[in-house]
Amino acid sequence: MKNIFEMFKKDLIRFVNDKTALLLTFLVPAVLIIIFGNIFGGNGGSRGKANVIFVNKSNTEAAKIIEEKLDSSKSIRLIKKYRIDETDSVTDFTEEKAIEYVKAGKYAAAVVLPNDFLSDTSVTMSIKYYYDPRNEIESSIIQGSIQRTVFTQLPQIFPSLLTRQANKFLGTEEGEGFRSDMAEIVSDYFDVPKDSILSFTSKEITSSNFLNESTDTSSESFIDNLIKFDSVQLVGADLKNPQVTRIVGGWAIMFLLFSLTSIATSLFEEKQEGTLKRLLCMPVTRTEILFSKYLFSMSLGIVQLMVLFLFSWVIFDVDIFTNFLNLVIVIIISASAAVSFGMIITAHAKSLSQANGIATLLILVMSAVGGSWFPTFLFPDWLQVVAKFTLTYWSVEAFQQVMWRQAELSAITLHLLILIVISIVFNVYAIIRFNKGRIF
Amino acid sequence: MLKIKNLSKSFNNIEALKEVSLEIKNGEFFGLLGPNGAGKTTLMNHIIGFLHADEGEILYNEKPIKFGDKGIRLKIGYVPQEISLYQELTAIQNLKIFGSFFNLSQNVLKSNIDKALDLVQLSDRKNSAVKEFSGGMKRRLNLAVSILHNPEVLLCDEPTVGVDPQSRNAIFEMLQELNKQGVTIIYTTHYMEEAERLCNKLAIIDSGKIIATGSLMELLNNLDKRETLKIHKTPESIELINKIEEIAIINEFDFKYELIPNSNFQKYSDLYRYFEDIGLSSDLVEVSQASLEDVFLHLTGRRLRD
Repeated sequence: MKNIFEMFKKDLIRFVNDKTALLLTFLVPAVLIIIFGNIFGGNGGSRGKANVIFVNKSNTEAAKIIEEKLDSSKSIRLIKKYRIDETDSVTDFTEEKAIEYVKAGKYAAAVVLPNDFLSDTSVTMSIKYYYDPRNEIESSIIQGSIQRTVFTQLPQIFPSLLTRQANKFLGTEEGEGFRSDMAEIVSDYFDVPKDSILSFTSKEITSSNFLNESTDTSSESFIDNLIKFDSVQLVGADLKNPQVTRIVGGWAIMFLLFSLTSIATSLFEEKQEGTLKRLLCMPVTRTEILFSKYLFSMSLGIVQLMVLFLFSWVIFDVDIFTNFLNLVIVIIISASAAVSFGMIITAHAKSLSQANGIATLLILVMSAVGGSWFPTFLFPDWLQVVAKFTLTYWSVEAFQQVMWRQAELSAITLHLLILIVISIVFNVYAIIRFNKGRIF
Repeated sequence: MLKIKNLSKSFNNIEALKEVSLEIKNGEFFGLLGPNGAGKTTLMNHIIGFLHADEGEILYNEKPIKFGDKGIRLKIGYVPQEISLYQELTAIQNLKIFGSFFNLSQNVLKSNIDKALDLVQLSDRKNSAVKEFSGGMKRRLNLAVSILHNPEVLLCDEPTVGVDPQSRNAIFEMLQELNKQGVTIIYTTHYMEEAERLCNKLAIIDSGKIIATGSLMELLNNLDKRETLKIHKTPESIELINKIEEIAIINEFDFKYELIPNSNFQKYSDLYRYFEDIGLSSDLVEVSQASLEDVFLHLTGRRLRD
């Protein structure tokens, strides 16, 4: 027993003295729990809202009420205006502009209440929903929120509208008779109790009764047939495997960061083996050593990503060839940024184990925050801002633009520029540190 | 050829080198002798341009060597203390990779690799992975990598650490052969036997300071006597050691005592008479030639391997 206790003590002392093990055991899970907590609303955090373009072309009161209800949604934020190019002025979205913005990936969806949203002659409420299912979760949340809002409110409106129309043309007395007859017909046709239809039709359309959620579910099938929810998928409709196409970029950049960082930190291994010192005692400059690592890491990263994408093409039929040139450009620049990340870790760490610990922590955090695992719209607003300071975010976005949207180079210029700037800044800093002999 | 002038270097306020000055001439086999941590490797690192000096300078043929000096590395070869090889690669792959940095043509490099492999007697194992080599073979390959560019000066930083006697002798012979061919060799060691056997000029370094320089004979001349007096450890000598201490400074080792007699007992006749008087058998007393070890002991009051 004493021996067991002594060996336990030995392991405990070694563990406590191993900063990397401590970091990976306690700090990494703690950081990830904080991020997950914020994403899914725990820890008192609030989940971010999905931005949805909203265009109201109808003058009806019902349309105004729908808009009001959507405005108060906890899941979505209605965007009604856009900035006119090269000016400070903003203007209301039109349907055409909304479509353009969704296609360009600026917003995930647009809701349009058309002119005939609820015409005098129509018994169908028409809503147009343009969307880009670039992320399945985001898309489901937006569509679900809109449908829930509309469907839970509309039971209040249609019967009243029908009654109002009948009374207008037939007079109150005959109108009531008509209402009763119609309720019977509808009851027979849709197989719902006549009384429930009559109770609806006796209500007047007001903001108060409209906004109160209906609890009567017996009329749902009836109502379902009166709403025309016209969904138009603007992007990715032709993709053979949208699920894999969506996620492949995020996972690609995460694994790229892991593999390329390990190559950069292999400088520590070379130091331990003595080969680095031998190289430094030969007619070789420190910059040359660093660039050889950079070149090797870049080459390996590019090959790794190409294999990964080819694999996804062979196995999952992901389309990588339609926009192949731009995909290659994103791969090269992402690999460059990932290598520079490894270089800066190496430039700051004091040992291999420290480098590996810091790299693991940062890669997991960047992957979580930058959108490799979840869409960033799920994050609280402050975390969405933080996401933009990670190279993962820009890389994931660029991959998505190229693969999901088949975007042209101009659409990813900003993403690529930011990744290039990250590469340059990180690498220059690493070279300065390395040349001053502060690393090795 | 190589002049080191007042070189000083500190690491975290610990002085690794203190105003070191040395001159190494063309063709010398120069030994740098000192215990572990004396500053030998730090000095080597400055000569190869691997470290910044805090003060002082090193001149190679009157030209200062700067930190990261690429040019100097075409003229100087460096055999590091560690086995600095890519273990998973073969001997020939290691030689080709490291040789490729010296701007040699393919033919010259190939010829130099063959010569180096012959010298270190590894031609028949050139296609084996280094990780399969014995410690001695790795040491020899470590040396071969450093001479691919036919350097004018070869820095050897304790190149025989952990090597069996046979491989050690082989390395000595290789270095002597290179020295005969005109290569200036600077050799660090804490083994005085190595320094005595190989070097025609020596510097003794301790705690970052050069405490003596010269040929072996010149260094031995520092001693009052060219012989050392030893008494074998036995129950009899252990019992009498207190009496012996009255006439000499005693350094105790595992199996013997080493004596530095005081001024009244400089003649061996006087010493032997004293031993006879106190009852110490003369069979236990041994007089041997003084060595560098004795010089170091004389200069520092410590042994090299303390």
